[in-house]
Amino acid sequence: MRNLRLPGFALAIPAWVWLAVFFIAPVGVVFWYSFGYKPGLFGTHANDKLSLDRYLEVLTPTFFDTFVATMWIALAGTALCLVIGGPVAYWMAVKSPPAWRGLLLALVLVPFWTNFLVRTIGWQVILAPEGWASQAAQAIGLPAFDILYTRAAVLLGVVYNYLPLMILPLYVAFDRVGEPLREASRDLGANRLRTFWRVTLPLARPGIIVGVLLVYIPLMGDYITATVLGGAKGNMVGQMVAAQFQTAQNWALGSAMAVTLILVIVLSAGVVGALLWLVSWPMRRANRLVLGEVGS
Amino acid sequence: MSATSNRIRRPLLDRLLPVWAVLVFAFLFAPIIVIVVYSFNTGRLLSSFTSFGIESFLALFEKPVLLDAVMVSLRTGAIAAVLATVLGTLAGIALARRTGKWTAWFVGLLVLVSVTPEIVDAISLLPWLVFLGQDLGLSLFNDGTVRLVVGHSLFSVAVVSYIVRARLVGLPANLEEASADLYAPPLRTFRKITLPLAMPAVLAGLLLSFTFSLDNTIVSSFVQVSGATPWPVYVLSALRGGLRPEIAAVSTIMLLLTLAALAVVALVLRRAGDSSTEIARTIAGG
Amino acid sequence: MAANDDVRILASRAAAPIVRRELSRRGFLAVAGGVGTTMLLAACTTPGGDPAPAATGGTLENALSIYTWGDYDAPEVLEAFTSEKGPRITLDSYGSNEEMIAKLVAAKGTSGYDIIVPTGVFIPQLIENGLLYKLNRDLIPNIEHVDEAYLGRVWDPNNEYSICKAWGTTGFVYDKTVIQRELKTWDDFFDAAKNEASGKTSVLDDPVEITGIYYWANGIDWDTTDPAEIDAAEKFLLEELAPHISAFDSYPGGAAIPQATHALMQVWNGDARLGIMNSPDPDRWQWVLGSPATELWMDNWAISASAPHPEAAHAFLNFVLDPEYAVAQIDYIGYHTGAKGIEQMAEEAGLGMLDMVFFTPEQLATMQDGEINEAQERNVEIWNKLKAAAGA
Repeated sequence: MRNLRLPGFALAIPAWVWLAVFFIAPVGVVFWYSFGYKPGLFGTHANDKLSLDRYLEVLTPTFFDTFVATMWIALAGTALCLVIGGPVAYWMAVKSPPAWRGLLLALVLVPFWTNFLVRTIGWQVILAPEGWASQAAQAIGLPAFDILYTRAAVLLGVVYNYLPLMILPLYVAFDRVGEPLREASRDLGANRLRTFWRVTLPLARPGIIVGVLLVYIPLMGDYITATVLGGAKGNMVGQMVAAQFQTAQNWALGSAMAVTLILVIVLSAGVVGALLWLVSWPMRRANRLVLGEVGS
Repeated sequence: MSATSNRIRRPLLDRLLPVWAVLVFAFLFAPIIVIVVYSFNTGRLLSSFTSFGIESFLALFEKPVLLDAVMVSLRTGAIAAVLATVLGTLAGIALARRTGKWTAWFVGLLVLVSVTPEIVDAISLLPWLVFLGQDLGLSLFNDGTVRLVVGHSLFSVAVVSYIVRARLVGLPANLEEASADLYAPPLRTFRKITLPLAMPAVLAGLLLSFTFSLDNTIVSSFVQVSGATPWPVYVLSALRGGLRPEIAAVSTIMLLLTLAALAVVALVLRRAGDSSTEIARTIAGG
Repeated sequence: MAANDDVRILASRAAAPIVRRELSRRGFLAVAGGVGTTMLLAACTTPGGDPAPAATGGTLENALSIYTWGDYDAPEVLEAFTSEKGPRITLDSYGSNEEMIAKLVAAKGTSGYDIIVPTGVFIPQLIENGLLYKLNRDLIPNIEHVDEAYLGRVWDPNNEYSICKAWGTTGFVYDKTVIQRELKTWDDFFDAAKNEASGKTSVLDDPVEITGIYYWANGIDWDTTDPAEIDAAEKFLLEELAPHISAFDSYPGGAAIPQATHALMQVWNGDARLGIMNSPDPDRWQWVLGSPATELWMDNWAISASAPHPEAAHAFLNFVLDPEYAVAQIDYIGYHTGAKGIEQMAEEAGLGMLDMVFFTPEQLATMQDGEINEAQERNVEIWNKLKAAAGA
């Protein structure tokens, strides 16, 4: 480190410049529109008169109701992804044959190299009232099932499409714990559960947090995934933002909505993060312990 | 806990985990299997199977627009993934190893990138790229692939940074320090120590970036230029006339090629008897 | 496969074998003769005179860029154009008009697209923003083959900028095994949605299509900007319809009809026809044209103001309007192209369920043109409220 004369953030400079040029600058311009207005039928935005009126227009009961519904979908989806993807990631990183791990990682993503709409059609064929799943159920004497356009279908669509965003960071997290550390823990008399709880989980914590946020945050802004199988029940607030930019062609209001949405998502993610932090208090104690041992 | 209960739990858990994993993989591939079957549909509509045949695959020869769109997507995906992985890996390492006052600002920026609705990126990037390309005369930005790569890289840079940071943060930096103490040039330390340590995260980030790019519809549809319609935009826009089985045929061919490539990698690696890190390195070409 | 001997088309000598090959490959039974055309030659003659438009009928450029809805033209028509006229076609696609307009506005004349296919209601906006090329009609004599009924619509009364490409209308489809009575009007649609089809009803995912149901059912002008009428529509739709909607689906024909996932669906005619024809049990479904009133939407050929290849673009428009290709286009996309006498040709070609493509003059008279007006913001608001209510 002392050989490096560069400031600490030198390695982050390329990414910083890239995002400054292609994110901060253009998106900043669009955020500026939120203080303007829609100038007549065929215009999308104007900023010669500035006001906060658009923000007042955002805060309607519809926006609030839709936001709350969105949050429930996002929270439930994130929790399900964690519960379903967690064991898979753990198995891949810890229990699977080491030579297979890179391939398994790729296999998690291969289904998603098929187009989103095409995958959706695949699910519709399975889940339709006379689809594969229903016929299979009837063949073994169960009643026909009709799950499309229900809340269950909303979650199925969400979990399916976001699962890799949970599994990959968790895999990376569990992988870094390493076999020697777990062995040492067991040699010291800890049983497997204790090893998992006191060694593996604390070390995997940063990855778990990343996995949770990587599912929760994009899901909060998503508005298509939940509706393709869930229909009306999958209505999410991102739809309102897109409707302003697209259908209403009111970029001023759309931008104000986007800014508001970003603020509330960050706020809600902060609340979720704080809750996780509180819940994981015992883990952090263990974490300090483990790192103390390793570091010394 | 007694040693006995420990011994009983072990085999049960060890047997349950792979079963669960197999179930989840089956879940992930379930709709894909349907699509493979339906790509042999001779009917007019992809979603309605009428009879078995390979006509849909022949359409690939009659409609160049299908393969063109897929090639645009693959090319963009590969470039965007490598670019986002390089930028994100460097940033992630800096975030984990060189924390300082700047960290909070940078993490804030990454959060903002990942939380901004895609439609906002789309609406804002389009005039911006036109401005760069036309008004500033940077003709690079009039190129369809460049525009798509720019649009697809933003979210991916943030994701790779997060994952790489999460991989390294809290892991002791003593190896790197030892290497530096031994007067290894920084680049060598980076290449020999830091990068291998981060490699699983880099590989995961690369795969995720490629996947995001391949499925990106909203930003793509705004920034694309003539002659560079990517595959998801084509599929979405074809809804108006009803999706044909040929779209499933394209998906099936892509899937088979992917699986074949993975099988080759597996075979080569098995012969070499490599570890997972080595696999990671091989796939990532690092 | 059809007997090739039966194909009789008056066409240029060079085109005939190609047309015949294409027709027989697609399995047409026969296409009647008697449709005189002067295809292919007109575009090459120089009309001279008008200096304003850059397209003067000069040599065609060697390329043509078409920006349209995906998979919206029969591939053989595009192939025939390239093989006969020369320009190589680059095909790009968009999924919404707004997206296409945003692209053209932002590109400030450098989009590189020649031909675009906007929906009628968006044409005034495109014109006002100077995004459309004033057509040189001398280069498009084949416009005479377009039925007057589909020319001169409100968005472009003199067809200075656009020509009908395909048009459709809105109605609904219901599952006769679930709704065992005859539905005829939008009022019946509401009634069935509230009863047999509650929770099994889908509407189009577009604000004006949904408010339209109420206006059409109640004899109110679809393009109304009267706040009282809009409020009444909102109240009715929120209270009476929203609780029964299970999906907002613009293309139920693509999956929902063949898979029978809904019992009652608001749907565009071409999409409904596609869904019913490809359903494993077509008799299960009944199509109803919206009544007492409904809409007429139209996608239109137009040329971008910044078209790099205006000559080729004009040549293409003239080429594609030739009645020879109308049947192929209808068969491929399932919507009426607006060509004269096309109904008879389609019947003789053996296309199915043509009552969902062609309509009687009486039915046509009930179809209203849409308009983007001051009510749009309110319509979007109602749409958002409906979605929130239906999702609750």
